[in-house]
Amino acid sequence: MAGRLFVRRRDGRIEIRLSDAGREIAREAFGHVLAAESDPSHEWHPSLNGPIDPSHDVDDPLAMFNRQHEVTSNVELAVATLDEEFLNDAEAWAWLCTLQIALRATITVKGIMTSDRLQEADEVTREYIETLQAFLFGLADVM
Amino acid sequence: MPSLKPLRVSDQTQTDTATTTLTERPWNVVVWDDPVTPMSVVVVIFRKIFGYPNNKATQLMLTVHHEGRAIVWSGQLERAQSYCVKLQVAGLLATIERDS
Repeated sequence: MAGRLFVRRRDGRIEIRLSDAGREIAREAFGHVLAAESDPSHEWHPSLNGPIDPSHDVDDPLAMFNRQHEVTSNVELAVATLDEEFLNDAEAWAWLCTLQIALRATITVKGIMTSDRLQEADEVTREYIETLQAFLFGLADVM
Repeated sequence: MPSLKPLRVSDQTQTDTATTTLTERPWNVVVWDDPVTPMSVVVVIFRKIFGYPNNKATQLMLTVHHEGRAIVWSGQLERAQSYCVKLQVAGLLATIERDS
């Protein structure tokens, strides 16, 4: 993917320059996050529900509820704007959060917690990770 | 003109709060390193969630990268939990811990 994937326009909007294939990858990632949030059997579910205070067996229920609510709000906004030409700042933040969750869930499921393990990962996994990283680099550049 | 009495009550409340804060150990919000999250994304997240200026956000990101973790905020439990949740919602590996 050559060129910038997201561009901040003079009117403040963020232009999405993803190809159709790029949007499909984003759609798939957003779909997994949405499913994982509500389905405990989804392989990404544990990585979306990590401990807040590891010294306790159970985290504060209100904090857990707030996390679920905010993740769901972000992913629903990201899904709703997938086919848009432009994003505002709140929508771009929702994209960034959801893509970052997808990236971290991917490495958690694959057990890629070190740079060495990343180098040893299969080609398809590395290509998927690099694609999500490219999306995130592009968004961070305009935020 | 307001009387002096309400002001004295208010001053006492502030003193009590300050004393409580000083005698309790704060809670730390800790962000942990991972091998894939782009550095620029971490900086954006720190700026957005904490309102840190770019140089402070960058310094904290580099601490995470080089030392494996960084304490990014310290204070009361409720706010620490709230910040930790916001960092997790943004996809970072974050936890809270009692200051030692």
